[in-house]
Amino acid sequence: MIAEAVRANKKAVIPYVTAGLPDLDTTGEIVRALGDAGAAAIEIGIPFSDPMADGPVLQKASHRALKAGFTLEGLLPRLAKWSASVSAPLIVMSYINPLMRRGLAETLARLSDSGIQGVIVPDLPCDASGIHEMCRDIGMDLIRLVAPTTSEERRREVVSQCSGFVYAVTVKGVTGARSSLPAEVRRQVKSIKSLTDLPVCTGFGVSTAAQVEEMLSFADGVIVGSHLMARVMEAKEPVEEAGNTLKILMA
Amino acid sequence: MKGYFGEFGGQYVPETLLPALQELEKEFSAAWGDREFRDEFAGYLRDYVGRPSPVTHARRLSKHLGIGVWLKREDLNHTGSHKINNAIGQILLARRMGKQRIIAETGAGQHGVATATACALFGLPCVVYMGTLDIERQHMNVERMRLLGAEVVPVSTGTATLKDATSEAIRDWVTNVDTTYYLLGSAVGPHPYPTLVREFQRVIGEEARGQILRHTGSLPRAVIACVGGGSNAIGIFSGFMNDPVELIGVEAYGDGNGRHGASICFGIPGVLHGARSHLLQNRDGQVLDTHSVAAGLDYPGVGPEHSFLSSTRRARYELVDDRQALDAFRLLNRMEGIAPALESAHAIGFLTQYAKERPGATVLVNLSGRGDKDLHTVLQEGL
Repeated sequence: MIAEAVRANKKAVIPYVTAGLPDLDTTGEIVRALGDAGAAAIEIGIPFSDPMADGPVLQKASHRALKAGFTLEGLLPRLAKWSASVSAPLIVMSYINPLMRRGLAETLARLSDSGIQGVIVPDLPCDASGIHEMCRDIGMDLIRLVAPTTSEERRREVVSQCSGFVYAVTVKGVTGARSSLPAEVRRQVKSIKSLTDLPVCTGFGVSTAAQVEEMLSFADGVIVGSHLMARVMEAKEPVEEAGNTLKILMA
Repeated sequence: MKGYFGEFGGQYVPETLLPALQELEKEFSAAWGDREFRDEFAGYLRDYVGRPSPVTHARRLSKHLGIGVWLKREDLNHTGSHKINNAIGQILLARRMGKQRIIAETGAGQHGVATATACALFGLPCVVYMGTLDIERQHMNVERMRLLGAEVVPVSTGTATLKDATSEAIRDWVTNVDTTYYLLGSAVGPHPYPTLVREFQRVIGEEARGQILRHTGSLPRAVIACVGGGSNAIGIFSGFMNDPVELIGVEAYGDGNGRHGASICFGIPGVLHGARSHLLQNRDGQVLDTHSVAAGLDYPGVGPEHSFLSSTRRARYELVDDRQALDAFRLLNRMEGIAPALESAHAIGFLTQYAKERPGATVLVNLSGRGDKDLHTVLQEGL
């Protein structure tokens, strides 16, 4: 119930955590700490060797996790325990290739069976009707992205195949913190909201409590990835650091 | 389905880029149907690139191998490879679209040099992404690009080769999509690039078909080309697609210890850089490290049309390793006075095997580039 969880949370921040950094057990603890700190939902990022939509921080996180031995097969059996440990819904964010490797439908079903409620794919095919139907059939939310460049017509199509929430990409570019976010975001979110009853969450570039506050004045939720992972990668105590970083953003 | 070759191809890109790809598709089909654009392109190929490139009868090599070997001399183009055909075509397209800035990726540096050359010709700023490993082994091309006024941006992430340079170019494009034209160098990437690059390289096959008919009075038994991303191969293949001619792509079998760039022979369909095609990946869907002595073949993916031609068996894909390519490099130097690029040397290297298979046959090989850039590598391996 991702949409409900986002709506019910007065300060809906959705943290993103790269799985397997420094190892999968720690990721499990980070997920719980983020849940305890009040995350509206939690995105678990699947590391990929060629993350073309990611900026330097998440590239580094992916690379390090793979070097540390991350595998999707290693992650899958742990997910059920993780999703039971928090009340916030868990969402998997992955490039499409790792999801397709052992069959897209089969992998989505395994994620769903492990309690994962939604999936975000940053390099979804242009015609995504196939994966849309697969997700619908197993009752999993397919969270789709709307970019600043997305046309009105395409926006309608994307939103009609979207569930959970609409992910409004705030900037042209890759993931990563930015000191200022474009003013058009407000208009973009408003225009998406006119097309759907789903919550609209903004992401890409958010790193301060002030930015969170500003975004939440017109959006239903905010996704924070690179900022959190930069802190986690630097910290001696990554679990505590993750929880504290989220608390500061929500303050 | 639109943008696919059978089950291969597509547009697996961040949402931000989709409108740019749709615009590119629209502009390309308008340009390609426009007499004036086609004439302008043909004019630059003739007066600037130096086309048509000849087809040369490799007499001593033919005698040595016991087959008739004819070489399509893309090495004689301005800048020394077939890459200039595509660079000129796409820069004309970029100009037509009013784009102010050009970006490109490069492996061996041939596409980077071709793009930097086209940018100098039209006075456009040029940024070329190149892996640090490739910068090291193709240093001369780096200096050439800088002389031409291009900025060469080193990419040290991942394997620091063509694959990572391509990812970095895509990241630049996502960020600067309004002003920037991404001049992709091979028949890979999201639709419409594989089609667009093939059309700009089609001139190789169309010329070669007429030339070989004039020289020999008949079609060759086989057309052979090396395949990294596959632009020179698809260019020459497209001239012979409807002929009773064997189409053979030669992939890099690397060091013989399991590190190679043979995506079709050993890969599994997957998605890299915006398209579904054969991909060297592990059981977990992570892209594998590749290796080839030829930087331009050191890539884990391949153009989706090659995956399709392999699946329909219209073309077949064969293997030549580093050692065989280096031997072929030396052989062509000694026998014909021609130094092939190490990429093209893979196609030459396959001839020994083909001569055993079909003694006496006539073959047309695409000599896609010249080997000056590889002297350093070859000298290290020992002449």
